[in-house]
Amino acid sequence: MDQKKLKRAPINITLADIERAYKKVEEFQRLIERGKTPEQIFKDMLRLIEVDQ
Amino acid sequence: MISRILQTILDVASHLKIKIAVIGGLALPAYNVARTTLDIDICIKIESQKQLNLFVKGLKENKINTKQKPKIDHDLFTVFGKRSEAEIWLKPCDAFQWDDQMIEKLHLFFGDVKVLAVEDYLLTKLARSDRSAVDIDDVLKIIIANKDSLDWKYFQFRLNWESLENDFKDIIKAFELDAKNNVRSISSDILNKFNNLL
Repeated sequence: MDQKKLKRAPINITLADIERAYKKVEEFQRLIERGKTPEQIFKDMLRLIEVDQ
Repeated sequence: MISRILQTILDVASHLKIKIAVIGGLALPAYNVARTTLDIDICIKIESQKQLNLFVKGLKENKINTKQKPKIDHDLFTVFGKRSEAEIWLKPCDAFQWDDQMIEKLHLFFGDVKVLAVEDYLLTKLARSDRSAVDIDDVLKIIIANKDSLDWKYFQFRLNWESLENDFKDIIKAFELDAKNNVRSISSDILNKFNNLL
């Protein structure tokens, strides 16, 4: 367990990281406002995975 | 209609009364977040080697195969369908096992697709042995998107359970930095909710 923890990336979050996180959350909210549902987004992601594979 | 491989895995698990949840990046929309991912990750709660063998057999009968010989003490195994593959985990995260509370808190996303409670999902991101910057980005986004619905007390319990309090304090520092540098109130709200627990 301790050995595993050593491999974890240290947490060093910058203001740019947090700014990007807020923007990504806003982008998702915009998709929802435009009528997409989380279920549809999930299915779209699944389709992309299958195309890739 | 969801992908054939995912639907088949869900159907076989349901037939054998095995608890199952979608995890990894694919589960993110259930928490109001999304990003690209190339993996289908699923976790199942297996009670015995016999049940695991029946599960693998059920998948095989539906043309979903594994090249491995999964054992109940393994972390995961990979299955292959005609057009796609999926990783099936025998625990929610390589760092911890299922427990009853985690099972009780499984959340129905839609249809028969379930996901972990948001607090347990956050724990999988923070606790995984190969935790990366992408996992930390996911944690930030999930907290921002779910600050009002998050069960902060339960989340705190889980952080203590996995000795991750200090890791999460590093994340909280980022919200402190943001609250000092920006006028938006969300970071301050998150800090208040976290500090109310201390």
